[in-house]
Amino acid sequence: MQRLWRLTDADDLARHRERFRARPYIYGVALTAVGFAARLALEPLLNDRVVFLPLVPAVLVAAAMGGLVPGLVICLLSAGAGAMLVAHYGLIPANVADALLFLFLGLVISWGGERIRRAQSEAAETARHLSERQAHLQSILDTVPDAMIVIDETGAIQSFSAAAERMFGWSREEAVGRNVTLLMPSPDREQHDSYLARYLRTGERRIIGVGRVVLGQRRTGDTFPAELSVGEVNSEGYRFFTGFVRDLSEREATAHRLETLQSELLHISRLSAMGEMAAALAHELNQPLSAISNYLQGGLRLLQSENPGSQAVAPMGKANEQSLRAGQIIRRLRDFVASGESERREESLNRLVEEAGALALVGARGAGVSVKVARDPAVDAVFVDKVQVQQVLLNLIRNALEAMEASERKELLVTVQAVAGGDMAEISVVDTGPGVSPAVADRLFQPFVSTKSGQGMGVGLSICRTIIEAHGGRIWAEPNPSGGTIFRFTVPRTGEVAEV
Amino acid sequence: MAGLVHVIDDDDAVRESLGFLLETSGWQVKLWPSAQAFLDAEPDPREGCVITDVRMPGLSGIDLAARLSREACAPPVIVITGHADVPLAVQAMKAGAVDFIEKPFEETSILSAVRAAFDRVADSDAPSEGTGEVGQRIAGLSARERQVLEGLVAGKANKIVANDLGISPRTVEVYRANVMTKMRASSLSELVRMAIQADRGG
Repeated sequence: MQRLWRLTDADDLARHRERFRARPYIYGVALTAVGFAARLALEPLLNDRVVFLPLVPAVLVAAAMGGLVPGLVICLLSAGAGAMLVAHYGLIPANVADALLFLFLGLVISWGGERIRRAQSEAAETARHLSERQAHLQSILDTVPDAMIVIDETGAIQSFSAAAERMFGWSREEAVGRNVTLLMPSPDREQHDSYLARYLRTGERRIIGVGRVVLGQRRTGDTFPAELSVGEVNSEGYRFFTGFVRDLSEREATAHRLETLQSELLHISRLSAMGEMAAALAHELNQPLSAISNYLQGGLRLLQSENPGSQAVAPMGKANEQSLRAGQIIRRLRDFVASGESERREESLNRLVEEAGALALVGARGAGVSVKVARDPAVDAVFVDKVQVQQVLLNLIRNALEAMEASERKELLVTVQAVAGGDMAEISVVDTGPGVSPAVADRLFQPFVSTKSGQGMGVGLSICRTIIEAHGGRIWAEPNPSGGTIFRFTVPRTGEVAEV
Repeated sequence: MAGLVHVIDDDDAVRESLGFLLETSGWQVKLWPSAQAFLDAEPDPREGCVITDVRMPGLSGIDLAARLSREACAPPVIVITGHADVPLAVQAMKAGAVDFIEKPFEETSILSAVRAAFDRVADSDAPSEGTGEVGQRIAGLSARERQVLEGLVAGKANKIVANDLGISPRTVEVYRANVMTKMRASSLSELVRMAIQADRGG
């Protein structure tokens, strides 16, 4: 069926071409006839001269339409018609010259017509190819799940793909022409122009060809973690930047990306090791605690009896031994966390914060929360174990997100700033949750104290404190003046200051 | 004459301190570092009551309870554990334990459990006390609450119960709390015990 259809189609095309090929001859013959008739009619004015000129249009048209062969055929035909006229008007030298000139002209015209026709068909072919490729490319770009955004040197959006429309909530018409900062939250929103300017000035690549996890902002104001990779195009002196944005908050992509990201950061192994450790320790701690309780309760009973004597001394001593055993178990946890595995290096604090923030927001956790990261490029180089400090930050941010689950106002602010005195950097995580009750506030960083009723071991913050103190820093919490809690910690800075 | 209590725990401190506590309360105590040691020394224990830890090398406390419950005149078994969860409690109760207590425990809860165990031996001919009353309390539960209770007694975790019933884990927790109140259970193991008793009775 399909074959047959194709055949008919090809037949049609062939027939069409034939008709197309006959056309120059038809026009040529018709115009020759017209020229012939016109020359006859003009004889009283021309007096046997200029026999061939009226026939030139026929050759011109035939050559232009059909190229070399029709041009030559019509030229010969016209020459014949001219010869008939010459035979009629008389063979004078002027007419002979006229005839030769006409033949020469006919040749040139036919050759020229052929050239033009070829150039035309080549141009048409190229145009067809181009539009085919354009359509092909467009179809690819429309189906790629990553948003594609092209900007120029000033940051103005030049192109905005269908996926970008879906991801950010702006339509193509709305987005094109506006500055790309439209799609990012603070502080990138204010600083993106300066990033561009710096790149154009110094040529130093910080994101082009590297790619990294950033925060994007939808039309609704919601922020989401995204992986951004940027390419550069140089076209006739103009530079364009193409950004591919992958939404990491989308569930499917999340599972995949989360896996790779976390394994990159060694978080998984560390977390699960800590989790197992904590569970084992919880079980182990129960033993000395049970023993202490038994000895004390029994001892108490003896002391309350009529004749206590010195029988209660031994159980008290044993209870004491058991409490020391419990202390040793806890110490083992601290040693595990702060052990020599720690790898401290100079790290970019701003990048560390940015990555941890994006990681913490992966998945649905950040839903409806407006996230702001206030970085300070002047406070950047710190001397830390990146994985451990990110662990702390991740913990604090997740706590903050959990705390705000039921809050009406959900604002998370992460700031980086210098501590007066200069050799420490302070990171704060500010939430607008219900705050910490004064009863728990004092013991917040002790192990096994949990504000989450029934959930969590209550070791998270104690591990955080162990990590930060091992870094020579400090971690503490204070109430947020406008409601909620602020967790702050400090880490040591290094002498040199390197930007993101 | 005070009854004899066998204390089986692989942790020396726990075993000795519990023995001490029971002795000061007037019970006779024998200590065993493992279930096997106990069975080897007392191949046919008919006397007293057994308190055993769950997680021990070799024979576990649950295995011991199951083995003893098959015997005609077995002593009552109280299971203690540092890692209490519902599935484990259910397993212990089904294995025939009379009580399931979480470490560390209050003096009163272990002592009253021991006392109840001896009372049970004394009244072993009489029908289990309060079975009818427990049945009434179960009858007072809503359909949903009963489903949650059944799930728990089947040894399922909250999340699994939630998934089975198509409700959120938090809602399951609420139902569970309601069930505890209506059943007048002070602990999870008591709840499980009542449900299993009612099940056996009915």
